[in-house]
Amino acid sequence: MSDLTVVGKRVERVDVRAKVTGGAVYAADVQMAGMLYGKIVRCYDYAHARVTELDLSKAAKCKGVIKVLGPKDVTQKEYNGSVLDMMVSSDMRGILGDIDDQSIFTTHVKHYGDAIAAVIATSEEAAERAAEKIIVTYEELPVYLTAEAARQSDARQFRPEKPGNLAFQLPEMAFPDNAYAWGEVDKSFEEADIIVEDTFYVPKQKQCQMEPGAYIALYDDQERLNCWTSTQMPKLVQKKLANLFELPMTRVRINATVIGGGFGARLGMVLEPETCALAMAVPGRPVKVLSTREEDWVTSPSRHPGKYWMKMGFKKDGTPVACDAKFENYKGAYYMDASGTAFTTGAWLGGMYKFDSLRYRGESYYTNQSVCGAFRGYGNPQTNFVMEQMVDRGCAALGVDPIEWRKKWHKTIGDDGWCIGVPYNSCALDECLDRAAKAIGWTEKRAKYKNQTGTIRRGIGVSVMNHTSGAMPMLLEHTVCDALLHQDATVTLNLACSDMGQGSHTTLRQVAAETLGFPYADVHIAAGDTDAAGFDIGAHASRTLYVGGGAVKQACEDVRKQIFDRAALELGEAVGNLYMEDKVIHVKGASNKSISVQTIADQGVNNFMNPENGELIGQPGQIQGYASFFPPHNAPPFGASIAEVEVDMETGEVKVIELVNAHDVGRAIHPGIVEGQLDGGAQQGLGMALTEETYYDEKGICLNNSFTDYKMLGPSDMPKITNILVENPDPTGPFGAKGVGEAGIVPPVGATANAIFNAIGIQILEAPITPEKILEALAEKD
Amino acid sequence: MSSRVMRDFDLLLPESIEETIALLARHKDKSAVLAGGTDLLVALKFDYSIDNVISLALVPGLDELDFDPARGLTIGAKVTIADVLRSQDVKDNYPALWQAAQVFATPQLRNTATVLGNILRASPAGDCSAALYATGGSLLLKNAKGCRNIDLDDFWISYGVTARCVDELAISLHVPVPAQGEKSAFRRMTRTTEDLSKINAAVCLQMAGETCHKARVVMGCVGPTLLRLPKVEKMLAGAAVTPELLRDISNVVISEIAPIDDQRSSAEYRNKVAGVLVKRVIEAALNAKENDQ
Ligand SMILES: Cc1cc2nc3c(=O)[nH]c(=O)nc-3n(C[C@H](O)[C@H](O)[C@H](O)COP(=O)(O)OP(=O)(O)OC[C@H]3O[C@@H](n4cnc5c(N)ncnc54)[C@H](O)[C@@H]3O)c2cc1C
Repeated sequence: MSDLTVVGKRVERVDVRAKVTGGAVYAADVQMAGMLYGKIVRCYDYAHARVTELDLSKAAKCKGVIKVLGPKDVTQKEYNGSVLDMMVSSDMRGILGDIDDQSIFTTHVKHYGDAIAAVIATSEEAAERAAEKIIVTYEELPVYLTAEAARQSDARQFRPEKPGNLAFQLPEMAFPDNAYAWGEVDKSFEEADIIVEDTFYVPKQKQCQMEPGAYIALYDDQERLNCWTSTQMPKLVQKKLANLFELPMTRVRINATVIGGGFGARLGMVLEPETCALAMAVPGRPVKVLSTREEDWVTSPSRHPGKYWMKMGFKKDGTPVACDAKFENYKGAYYMDASGTAFTTGAWLGGMYKFDSLRYRGESYYTNQSVCGAFRGYGNPQTNFVMEQMVDRGCAALGVDPIEWRKKWHKTIGDDGWCIGVPYNSCALDECLDRAAKAIGWTEKRAKYKNQTGTIRRGIGVSVMNHTSGAMPMLLEHTVCDALLHQDATVTLNLACSDMGQGSHTTLRQVAAETLGFPYADVHIAAGDTDAAGFDIGAHASRTLYVGGGAVKQACEDVRKQIFDRAALELGEAVGNLYMEDKVIHVKGASNKSISVQTIADQGVNNFMNPENGELIGQPGQIQGYASFFPPHNAPPFGASIAEVEVDMETGEVKVIELVNAHDVGRAIHPGIVEGQLDGGAQQGLGMALTEETYYDEKGICLNNSFTDYKMLGPSDMPKITNILVENPDPTGPFGAKGVGEAGIVPPVGATANAIFNAIGIQILEAPITPEKILEALAEKD
Repeated sequence: MSSRVMRDFDLLLPESIEETIALLARHKDKSAVLAGGTDLLVALKFDYSIDNVISLALVPGLDELDFDPARGLTIGAKVTIADVLRSQDVKDNYPALWQAAQVFATPQLRNTATVLGNILRASPAGDCSAALYATGGSLLLKNAKGCRNIDLDDFWISYGVTARCVDELAISLHVPVPAQGEKSAFRRMTRTTEDLSKINAAVCLQMAGETCHKARVVMGCVGPTLLRLPKVEKMLAGAAVTPELLRDISNVVISEIAPIDDQRSSAEYRNKVAGVLVKRVIEAALNAKENDQ
């Protein structure tokens, strides 16, 4: 494939100029004539309470106020902001037990920041001033922040259909014994010479996307509901809103605005329901709803926190005989992705090593925390923190090198992937490990850091992961793409795939240009209008290049085929005798016979009759390619990270010195974009390991829903990073590509934890691993 | 809860010190002086008592950052952290202040935030404040009735509360000429690099060979105001600074501080690392090579 001309090149990103010059139009920037502003009144006094009285009268009299809406003034239909229920068959939906349990405004506050009412006014300021005049009286209810608290027998029930506040556990029908399992775990443990076991805590990490929520909705004169939003999933949100407001899809239109970062925070509906409900109350006028950072924090979903227990058994020779695990997550106030994450967290575990037997249980408990849902990695970072520390504990007990052990026992081609029954069809993890080890000097450093005694100690740790490119076969994977050939032989692709900054519109364009044999500049991507674009699941599960790219490739192959068919007719040659160069189609071995794509494209549109003989000149009809693409596989990417840290034994402070990431990416369609994904992933992975966590006081009041006290790593905290792209083309990906959107966040989590273990000889069981926890652990050891 | 809407206030733009003082005299506690605004604008989101914001933007005569070997250092009210960081005089003569400026927030913040604003905010976490408390200094305050100098030792009263009267404008800070053999340093700990201190410390030592004549030792985030550590200062005064002394000092620190649990750290952790930090900041002061950071 060395003759690729656009794929593999670092072309200019389609979004870069607008973003760096400030030209990009985000939802917050959109202005419209007659625009009104909505302010949502939220409960910031309690995490669990009943509204006993709601007085909207004072607010209604405020200057500039158009309308004030309480729970009874909007649709009474409940909904589920997540889109998981739309990605599975109706049978599976029943088995998974997803329920609609959110309402637009509530009288039963279930988390800090739950929505009570809203004001619509002529300015943002007027709306906010009036909102302050809404008087809400509450009856305080007991607060449950953890699974342990929520499942107490006397705990109040969040939903009658979910007894014990157990929102979800792997369902018996699909998972006997409520477990994702193979082999006989209990028996296998009897064969183990070494058993390691512990309970970990994984934190409530926030995506911290740069753009806080901003929405506009307009119920227009055609009685159509229009919504401007930076959602990652325009087509599913269109359907969700159609269901919620009981409208046909033709009467709901999503205008997807520039996305200022997603990472899962915009996976389903966030404040689209509230904004649309306000707009429906004032037909003909656009209503804009802008979130503060603090509000966005508690209304958009976070990573699932919770207790994660794991036990592993090994034979003396290192054979991994058994793995038993249970993740009890603190789901938050509403169902959302209760089923999805509880399952995938175990799927990544199952996809990694060749244990003789494995059993994973996943449970989601309702709690009075803000909602949890999708976040880059979708359960994988949690599993990485736990699984990889347990493996290293095992390796320490066995006295084997952690890289050697991983190379020997990780799953590979032919083994079941994260989904039992779907075997891996490509895997270059060994090469990832070898190259990462060499790049950082693993062997020498591992030897050097043994038996340190000083105040400042170094450590080096490794971690590996498997992930996915799209969620097939668990979830629907489908993208529709139209490719329109204009009369000047340039192409516009029309599809609903979002570019949330991950660079997908650039890489999709590269795939199109390469497939067509056209220059990169000759292709444009039109996306974002659900009136125009066909179906697409949306940007999630590292799928956009893999599945969207598959659709683009197929649609462009269709265009190319039509061009060649017409050329064959015009030249009177078989298609097999033709080839294209610089957009001119030639006959092999006959240099004087050719026709340009431009001529074919133009004749297709501007088609006339020859007045002399009455025959058409060229072939009539504008060429348009089409694909409704369902991928054949999920092309799992693999990756390894090695981190080197320095730990201050007197203060517990950790400094990450170096991080090497080596990823099996199939093919890097745009190496710079892949590196960007790995760097950005590393920033979030290191953050989860070291500093990031949203937390609450005992009453459920969130204490750090802003950047003042939620600490992400900044530029000066980042280590030296080396990214190694291992290109081992996947047989099913477009030009061999696999998804890389999520992979980068995963292995830095475990690698950092293991490097700290290597430096201080103690494993810290709770993430983030703060200096406070390290000092405490060191004191306990003494 | 934070707001997207800035509350109503009048922005007053006086063009002289006299005019500023007249405005302060008129509006008193219903007003606030705006220097860099990096503290004030955050406070305005929550504090509804301020109706008049008096900006120093157009006031001349407050930009002075001047070092005179005979008189010492003068820092005007509009001198920013970035100005301090650019000053070779500060770097050479007041390393603690320079080091505090170096780790202070981000370039954007340093270009805006002022040294005097840091002092007037009266936060127990103030980095430049900690450094200046160690070197010592006095603030020149002015109101309609006249001027007065107040020593930093008497300036911070409790969390966010100072000895400044509501009608006084801080004009400048005066820092004395460094004594013979003076060595100073500043160190802090944070959750991430660009963060407020979870704990910080500054020292100013008058050394004669191995012996310390006089010491000022300051610690932040361990009480309602920045604290001096008198026992530690006494242990250092007249003593040879040996590893044993440093170990003893490190053990005493905990008896002089009263940290609390908050978002940035815990009382327990602060108690554990305070001694280490004091030991390290003393070592940093003593080990600094000439012209080293
Ligand atoms: C993102 C961020 C990061 C920060 N990082 C740090 C850090 O690393 N270390 C640190 O110590 N601080 C930090 N701060 C706090 C703040 O930047 C500093 O305290 C800064 O020095 C304040 O200076 P200013 O000029 O912005 O003060 P302003 O906000 O203008 O004023 C602060 C207070 O002093 C009063 N005041 C100011 N000047 C005068 C005057 N001449 N006379 C009378 N009253 C006056 C004001 O009325 C106000 O009450 C940070 C703040 C932010 C927002």
